Parts: sequence; structure tokens; C-alpha cells
Amino acid sequence: MAGFSELIKSFDKTRDYVRDFFIYGCKVRNDFQSKSSRTYDDEKRRVESWLGDYIHTDNSQRGKKVCISVDSGHISENPLYKAYQSKSFTDNDIKLHFLLIDILAEGEQLSLKELVNRLDEDYGELFEEQTVRNKLKEYADEGVFIKEKQGKTDYFSLSPDTAEGLLAEYNGLDSALKFASEAGLFGVVGNSLLKAAGLKNDIILNKHNYIVHTLEDEIMLDIVNAIEERRYISFESFGKNREGKPLEFSGVPFRILSSMQTGRRYLAMYNPEYRRFNSVRLDSIKSVEQGEVCDSYDELLALYIKNEQKCFGVSFGNRNDLGYVEPIKLTIYADEKTEDYIVNRLEREKRCGTVEHVSENTFVFTADVFDPNEIMQWAKSFIGRIISVEGGTEEIRSKFYNDIERMNRMYCDEKED
Amino acid sequence: MKRKINIFSELYGVYYRTVAKILDKSEIAESDIYSAVSEEAFADSALFIPQKLTSDWGLLKPCGEKKYESALKHKPVSVVTELQRRWLKAQLADPKFRLFLDEQVCEKLEEKLENVKPLYNSTIFRSADVFADGDPFTDESYIKNFRAVLNAISSKEVLDIEFMSGRNERKRGHFLPLKLEYSRKNDKFRVYCAAYRERHWSNGLINVGRIISAVSTSHKADCGMDMEEYFSERRCSEPVTVKVTTERNGVERFMMEFAAYEKYTERDLETGVCTVKLWYDKSDETELLIRLLSFGPIIEIKSPQSFRRLAAERVRRQHELLNEKQE
Repeated sequence: MAGFSELIKSFDKTRDYVRDFFIYGCKVRNDFQSKSSRTYDDEKRRVESWLGDYIHTDNSQRGKKVCISVDSGHISENPLYKAYQSKSFTDNDIKLHFLLIDILAEGEQLSLKELVNRLDEDYGELFEEQTVRNKLKEYADEGVFIKEKQGKTDYFSLSPDTAEGLLAEYNGLDSALKFASEAGLFGVVGNSLLKAAGLKNDIILNKHNYIVHTLEDEIMLDIVNAIEERRYISFESFGKNREGKPLEFSGVPFRILSSMQTGRRYLAMYNPEYRRFNSVRLDSIKSVEQGEVCDSYDELLALYIKNEQKCFGVSFGNRNDLGYVEPIKLTIYADEKTEDYIVNRLEREKRCGTVEHVSENTFVFTADVFDPNEIMQWAKSFIGRIISVEGGTEEIRSKFYNDIERMNRMYCDEKED
Repeated sequence: MKRKINIFSELYGVYYRTVAKILDKSEIAESDIYSAVSEEAFADSALFIPQKLTSDWGLLKPCGEKKYESALKHKPVSVVTELQRRWLKAQLADPKFRLFLDEQVCEKLEEKLENVKPLYNSTIFRSADVFADGDPFTDESYIKNFRAVLNAISSKEVLDIEFMSGRNERKRGHFLPLKLEYSRKNDKFRVYCAAYRERHWSNGLINVGRIISAVSTSHKADCGMDMEEYFSERRCSEPVTVKVTTERNGVERFMMEFAAYEKYTERDLETGVCTVKLWYDKSDETELLIRLLSFGPIIEIKSPQSFRRLAAERVRRQHELLNEKQE
């Protein structure tokens, strides 16, 4: 027990642990070889504390690890938001938080010196001016206090908006918050508003809910700022090079891409070193630093938008590796009279491809994309209807035909008992 | 140096929130402190918060046997931070968020946040595979139906709903809406409801986009089912068991893609092969089947036999189609 704290100082340290415990669940101590066993035990204890009833593991079966997780489509609140509610703080931080807000609660506007005196006189708490000054600056930046200069002196007052007040004033905002805190971008922020008002989501469920995405919200916000300010970024990856040092990358960020099918999210960026666009998985990025403003941002963005139209998913491919790539063409069978849901599926899922009705019960999907590999997992969701695969590369076509052979042996070569 | 916006801050932390709840009363019994900690905070927080409140933090003072008084003169308040304001402003640009608010409320809120910079611009985000036929969130009749459903959920009121079924048949009935569900992949709302048929309640699920009209019956009802019971009725009777191999990074891909499902996983520590049991909503069986098949031969559906046969049937047809083509 000694030395264990439920609270953590930095989020990135715990992020990869939480992700691995949640995604794999069944990872064991030996899978985290680069970490000390003490770190593993502490992180595991924290994750179990946050996820509570959602994950259970046991070693009951010899040579196997067992884990159970819960359907995230049927939960009212993302349990991983708790990871964001675990920031450590000092004794002075919490004392000043409650006492300064208490002093300013009656609407007064006070200077640093006046606040320091009131802390002493009203609460018997002696603080150094510098400590209080830092907290006032931090809370003015966070929007908790309003700072106003009168002459040479800064005066501070409490921001009048409270979570409860806002929800009482704007009818329906509670339901909107319940929705956006679970289904919206940076939902963890909405969740903090709900919690502050003592509310819980009780109306919205989320299908295709990748709750683990929230772990990337902090670094994603840094990326979003860099994009809005048209800056270069450099970032450190969780991956290591041969010398065991963290991998570092830099580039010009443009978009955050996601796949609702695979559950992965990516940063789409321009890599000046290789003079090409690429996508980097957000969950592989440990930390982000914003750099200088990119002077050629507009030209690169225009080029990016042009390139993006040739991505079926998130990959900009590598035509050098693939060689010459022909547009890929899938011919699909669907009974026009009884299977319009298949045609509808093709239409709504075709993305940058085109769908043509070429003959009776036959439809052709064509796409000219950077990485035709990305189409093939989607194509396999039409198994039972694919008349042919043409174009792409020889390797892609062979892999598809081999996969079908293997699946045929797997499922159809069974002898009845 | 550029100021960083903090999502990860003690301002939004469990400890500050729990302490605020405790200090909400000018006087509090020790047992109530522990109750507040167990309701609000983490599993081990009871080992830290009560003791710190009376010592290092000095925010509670003893005032009788096992009783404490708050050091504050007012009830604590949760001030809306700049981050929260900026987030709210960004939400107002989302037509789905506005579905929950009347136009006048949206305008009032926009006015309030007039000088606030949105936290993000939604054009930065692109979902590669969101379906193209999402709900018409700004369509007047859609908004009307959506709000009728939303109001009925909070007021527990039965609605007379006319809608087009998945098979394009016009249907009508009395429904008690229970929960709304949003799917980012489909970009659609659905409503889980209890359908009143022949004097008893049964399970129902309606796409909001398929509702033609939703009219209040002014009749309040309780279907007598809690949500756990409701969903267990919709759940498959037997989970699908899948063997997932490590080929083509299969385990990582599979675990990520099926992270949203309730599952039970056994991993063979020598081979890395996982045996996963997946539970699913009966109405999503086809979606699950095609998602599993899209993994190709790196996974194998083992059971139940009826589900495996569905996969085998599609694979057999596929094999025949390709062989016909070659012939």
C-alpha cells in the first residue's frame, strides 16, 4: 500500500496501460516487459479502480489468461472518463481552490494582497503571495476568475457562470449535454459539465462506441490547435527505435481521420522529410509539441484535399512499393427484385468509389485509390456475392482468391459426424 | 510560450468534486463523509479523502462526536471554465446537438457564447467510413418526431407512432420510448421502446428517420422492465465463439474492432491465439456476420453451429461464384 496513489501526475504515462488493459484485457505482467513490476501493479490497480465492474481478469486456467468486458453500446457513461478525473494536486492547490472561490462567492472584486489577507483573517491560512499569485493566474487562464486591471493593480472576481445555473437557464441543455458527452467529440469535457451539475446520462446509448478513443483526447486537442494555427508539430511515439529510444516524427498536420469499422483514429499529415502525406495512428502518439507556423500551409492543404479524395480509408499508400496500380473493380451479384438492401449498401458504403448497374442483377464497384488494400476488408463483407475482383495489384487479387480458398476449406470441407 | 488547454486537470477531478459535495453541508457526520466518498470517488479514495479533509487540507473541523463543520462560509460552486465554454460553442455547430434544443434556446446560447472561440472546427475531423445515408438532422419533420420521442422518454408517455419498417412496410402502434441510441457509423438515431400489443409490452426498436408521425397519447405508462432486463431480452441466446489467430496482426485488429462488444476472451499464452465469445443484439446478427467474414481466414467462427452455417453458406456461394467465373 505504501506509496500507492489513486491520482496521477501525467496522463501519457498511464494512457498506454489503460488502452492495453481495455483493448486486450488479457495482457499479463510479462507483456509489459519494459516496465517495472511495481509500475505494472500500480497501473493495474488504478485501471481496475476506474473500470470497476467493466473488466475482470483471472488466471484460473493454466497457461491461459481470461478476461471479460462489457458491451459499451449499453452503458450510460464512458468509464474511461475516470482516467481524466485522476489528476494529482498539492495540499495548497485544493485549499486555495475552495477558499479563494469562497472568498469571491459574494461577488467582490479583490486584489492579490486583499485575498492573501482574507485567507489569513477569515480562514487562518497563511500563504505566500507568490503561491496565491500563481493560482490566481492559473484560474484566470482557466476562466474560473475574471481578471481586471485597475490602475497598476489586477483585481479578481468569480466568473458568474456555474454548471447548475447554465443548465437551469437553457431548457433542454441537460439532454443535449447527455448526448454530446457520450457521442460528441471531446465528450469528456461535456461529462465534466454534467458531473459538476450532479447529472448523469440516462437517455442516450451509443452504438459502435469506441470508448477507448477518449484516451487520445488530450493529445488530439494539441493537434487540433496546431491545425487551427497552421503550425508544424513534432511528436513522440510509444514505439522505440533499435537503441530503445522513443521514435520521434514531425510534420504538418491537416486532419484527424477515423474509421468506425476498425475503431482506429489517425493523424493525417505532410511529412516534409519524405515529401509525402501519411497517416499516423493517434494511439501510437505519446506526446505532441507545437512548432512554428508553416508558411506554405495553404498550398499543402490544397494538395492534401486533392489527395484525400483518393483515400478509401485512411491510407495514402505507397505507390512506389505497390508499383503501378490500376483502379480496383468489384463485380457484385444482387437480385434486383428482392435484394435492394445490397444495392443500398453499396451506395451508402461506396465512399470515393462509384457503383454501376451493368447488367441484370450485376453491379460494379470501381475505385481508383492510393491503397487498394484498404478496400479488400470491406469487399470481404460481401462474401457470397463477389463475382470477380479486377484491377488493383496481382498480390491483392491473389490474396483475395487464396483467402476464399482457405475459408472454403475452413467452413465447407467438414465431414458430417 | 503558448498556453496549453488542460483537459487533464484537477478542476475536473473526482477528488475536487467529492470534496465539494461534502462541503455542501455546513455540518456533516463522519458516516456521511464516507458515503459521499463511496458514491462519488474511486474504489480506494476512502483511504485518503476523509483523513486529508481534516488534516492537511483543513477544510473540515471537528464539531462534536464524529461530526464536522465546513471551513467555508458558502456552498461550493462549480464555475464553468473556458474549456467547457469553448466545447459548448463547438457543439452548437453540430445539428445533432441542436436537435435537443429549441431554436430560441440555441440563439440565446449562441448570444451568450458570442465571443468564445469554439474548441474545434468540425471540418478537421473526417470519418472515412460513415454511411452516406445518415439521418436528415435539419429536416423539420425529423426534428418534430425526434423531439416527440425525446419528450416521451422523460415524461414516460406512450406515443402513437407511424413508421416505415426495415422491410418498407407502413406500420403503426403504441410505443413507450425508453432510450435513444446514436450510431456514429450509421449516423442515425434509433429509439428503443416497449411496444404495447395485445395487452402486454414487448421489445421494439424504431429508426427515428423512418418515423412518419409520433403523436402523444397523453397516457403515461411503466412497462415494468428495467433496461438490463430489456436488453437481455434482445440479446442472443448463445454467444458466437470465434478463434482469432495472430496472422496479419489479427488479435490487435480484432480486439480493436470488436472493443465495443461484450466479450469473454481466453488467450493461449504460448501461441497467442485468442478464443473470444461475443454477445450481440439479435437484430444485429447480419451486421456481426459480415464483419466477422470481412476478417477472412485469420479468424474462424466456431459456434454456435447455426451461426457457423450462415458463414459457411456465404463462403460456399462465394467459392462457387469464383469457380464459375474461372470456368
